[in-house]
Amino acid sequence: MAESLADYRRYLDPRTLAKISSLELRARLIVEGVMTGGHRSPYQGVSVEFAQHRPYTAGDDIRHVDWKVLARADKVYLKQYQQETNLQLILVVDASESMGFGSVTVDGGVWTKYDHATALAASLSYLAVHQADSVGLAIFDQQLSRYFKPSSAPTQWKLVASELQQVPKWNKTGIGRVLDQIAEKVTHRSVIALLTDAFDDLETIKKGMRHLRYKKHEVIVMQILDPQEIEFPFEDVTLFKGLEEAGQLITEPRALREGYLEQFRLFNEGLKKLCRGMNIDLRQFNTAEPLDVSLSQFLADRSAATR
Amino acid sequence: MMFFAPWFAVAGILAVGIPIAIHLLNRRRYKTIEWAAMQFLLAAMKKNRRRLRFEQWLLLAVRCLVIGLMGLALARPTGCDSTSLARLAGRSASLHVIVLDNSYSMAYESERPNAKTNLDQAKKVAKRLIEQMSAGGDSVMLITAAKPAAAVLAEPTYDLSAASAAIDRVPQSASGTDLAAALDLARRTAETHSEQPVKFLDLLSDSTASAWRGDDAAALEQLGPKLAAAYRIRHFNLSVPGATNAAVLDVWPTTNLVRTRFANDFAASAKAFGASVESSLLWTLGGESLPGGSALTLDANTPQQTQSNAQIRTGGPTVLTAKLSAEDRLPIDNVRQRTLDVAAEMKILIVEGRRGATELDGSGAFLELALSPPKLSGDAGAASDSYIKAERISDIELGGKSLGDYRAVLFADVAQIAPAIADALAIYVKQGGTLVWFTGGQVQRDSYNAALVPRGLLPGPLTQRQSGPGYTFAFNPSGNNDPLLAAFANLEKSGLDTAQSFTYWQVSPKAETKSHAVLKYQASGDPAVTLQSLGDGRVVFFASSADAEWNDFPAKPAYVALMHEILAGTVAGSERWMNLDVGQRLQLPPAYKLTGTPSLRDPATNVDTPLQQANRPDGTLVYESAILDHPGVFTLSGRNGSVPISVNPPAAEADIRPVSDDAIRQALGNAAVEFEGADLPDISAVADTGRDFGWSLMTIVLTLLGVECFLAMRFGHHKKT
Repeated sequence: MAESLADYRRYLDPRTLAKISSLELRARLIVEGVMTGGHRSPYQGVSVEFAQHRPYTAGDDIRHVDWKVLARADKVYLKQYQQETNLQLILVVDASESMGFGSVTVDGGVWTKYDHATALAASLSYLAVHQADSVGLAIFDQQLSRYFKPSSAPTQWKLVASELQQVPKWNKTGIGRVLDQIAEKVTHRSVIALLTDAFDDLETIKKGMRHLRYKKHEVIVMQILDPQEIEFPFEDVTLFKGLEEAGQLITEPRALREGYLEQFRLFNEGLKKLCRGMNIDLRQFNTAEPLDVSLSQFLADRSAATR
Repeated sequence: MMFFAPWFAVAGILAVGIPIAIHLLNRRRYKTIEWAAMQFLLAAMKKNRRRLRFEQWLLLAVRCLVIGLMGLALARPTGCDSTSLARLAGRSASLHVIVLDNSYSMAYESERPNAKTNLDQAKKVAKRLIEQMSAGGDSVMLITAAKPAAAVLAEPTYDLSAASAAIDRVPQSASGTDLAAALDLARRTAETHSEQPVKFLDLLSDSTASAWRGDDAAALEQLGPKLAAAYRIRHFNLSVPGATNAAVLDVWPTTNLVRTRFANDFAASAKAFGASVESSLLWTLGGESLPGGSALTLDANTPQQTQSNAQIRTGGPTVLTAKLSAEDRLPIDNVRQRTLDVAAEMKILIVEGRRGATELDGSGAFLELALSPPKLSGDAGAASDSYIKAERISDIELGGKSLGDYRAVLFADVAQIAPAIADALAIYVKQGGTLVWFTGGQVQRDSYNAALVPRGLLPGPLTQRQSGPGYTFAFNPSGNNDPLLAAFANLEKSGLDTAQSFTYWQVSPKAETKSHAVLKYQASGDPAVTLQSLGDGRVVFFASSADAEWNDFPAKPAYVALMHEILAGTVAGSERWMNLDVGQRLQLPPAYKLTGTPSLRDPATNVDTPLQQANRPDGTLVYESAILDHPGVFTLSGRNGSVPISVNPPAAEADIRPVSDDAIRQALGNAAVEFEGADLPDISAVADTGRDFGWSLMTIVLTLLGVECFLAMRFGHHKKT
């Protein structure tokens, strides 16, 4: 157990956690559970605990100004609160074969998209648990292979991390079908974070997302991509063996690069359009970029967007 | 189509396989990657398959083309026909060897526009040829054909202006044509520059017979096919139709020796080639006019003109001149000089084997009497009226004599010849002396055979003495006799046919001595008198005695005459080295006595130039001048008095009548020759045959390389660095 703990801690780089611990994960939509100040709650009577004052800075919401302090000291301070919430975060992690691809090396080992996805998921769950939010986990390939109900228990994070560490079976992807299954399973309005490369048919993905949105869930798509997939930097003649039984192709990549990037761009634009149409937050993560930077940036952007 | 370096073309064709091989190898050598985003790759492939295939094939084709054309360009294809493409794409790259005949016949004043002489016109034609050449592509070699033939430009030059300037500098020579040497230079140039597949040999001459049918005819016939194999030969005929030239071809004394106190006859050959010419022949001897000067109609068959009974009072070198009164368009050969060494006191040495108590007892006494008879009593002055001054000694005294002081040495019944004496005699003869042997009862065969035969001083070994009742000479006054006996022709009762020998030494002539019998014995057919050459001198062998010991010849009237004729006919005319052709060097005979360093005065400049010492092929050190390049009477000084040296243009050049094109072709061993006239050639079409497409191909290759780079970048087939 000690060894297992050490393994999942490697995902939680202290630098990463230090940066994101002061940020708040905010739901863009009103979710079940109330957060005073930070989250607008549809329910009354939720306790709020004062945490600290901090100086006002331009752009802060003036509703949090402590007028009493202003009257006494003629200085503008904001009141900040440590509050409880019942936000429910479901981490849906793609464990299909395509997620096993990786070209980035870390400490001599290959850093796959799945590694990046699990690290992200662990970080988010850690954050959520420390905010007393409920965290659930779903791991899927062709279908939902494992599912853990959301819980805000302190041990939930360890459970999530431990499960993410299991080596997947590397099957084909079936994102749309899995999203349907999750929509059926999750009865509370939740934040559904889908961590995937999204290499699947856009129509089926659309269908699954529409189902989730129909159930009033907020959906975040965290698209995990390898730098080689983004840049296609190959030069010599290469035999590309497709994962997930996608066939194989021997070609001179330099000649095909432009066409590949065009197809890749078209797909991503289609995905963006799909998400934008359903008010779904989509963010690309490059496995070559530091996790702490991209995650904190993501959370900051979400924070700014929900104000 | 020819190639400078055909192996490059072969290599290029073979190298075309390299990009194909690389293409195929690349298809077999690849990396394998397990790829997640396969759907985009497959979609891209599906959409671009045809374009990619087209690009691949296009790039492969361009690369193959680049390599193939690179090989072709390096091989430098040349020689396309005269087409507009050839003019557009081909750059001329040939070796042009121009052989310019500047012999004196080319000085003929043909009066063409802006070209006074044939040589001037030849220069214009040669410069026009150069104007047609491609700067930087064609190279030019210039050879002059006047004797001695010379390469004006030591190596073919690409500097066409320098070649044109070199043509301007070619001098008009006064010597003959040395076409064989000039063409041999061209042959060697072709061998040296065998890498040039296209070569032109342009011969610019006036097509005279002396050039094409002269002494070098055999050499030309051998050279022709070799030249035709290396060159495209073109001959430009600079001769003028209807050209006429009158010339004095030769002037000479009719006897071997010109002597004082004798009536001397001279002859001259004056002819006109082309049309006949009215002129007269003017004679001068030693600066004084001789009788003659009557009008002549000269043509190619004009017989020789004679000048008879000229009396010469003083001995030594003097100049005989024959000159035509009429001027013509080739004046250089209208006058001809000859230096005569007039014999006034010719010293000879008679060596006796038998000495006698009285004047007529010695074995050489009759000889001395015949050649240098004493003056009649009462005459004052010299001991003899003869131009010959004879000195009679015994064989014992011979060792103390300097043979070089005598024009002839005569041995009369000398018993033995020591090897040292034989060596001295051999040197003496080789340097131009005359040696005459008379036998007799004292002659020891073994000594003669051992000492003289190996040194070539006898026609062959003495075999045995023949004795009989009387052997007469096989001589018919009206028959076909040896030239030495010309004085006896048609002379009855000269005694030459009745003289009898009772004893003689039979000699067995050796072929290598190349001796011939001047007289033979009637009955036996054995040689009675033989003549042979050795070096520059002559050896005469009499089989019988010089006195009455073995024959009755001394009592005959013919004895005196025969001795004089033999001597006059064999003693080398010492003036031979004083008469030269333009293009030769003056070379002093080794025996020529000097009192100081000899020098030669040029009549054109009056400048004395010292002669330089040089080694002859036989190792002898002699004085010689530089090549004498113009005619005239030069003056040699270096001992008491001066010697006139006559330098004349070669007579053969005077015949300016051109030979036919077929004759030229035959002279060159039926080699392929193209014939052009003397007009300035319009050879633009001809120049096309030497066009070099290598430059254009290289430009195409470079363009294709640029295209390949662009396509590779455009198609994404280039590697990032």
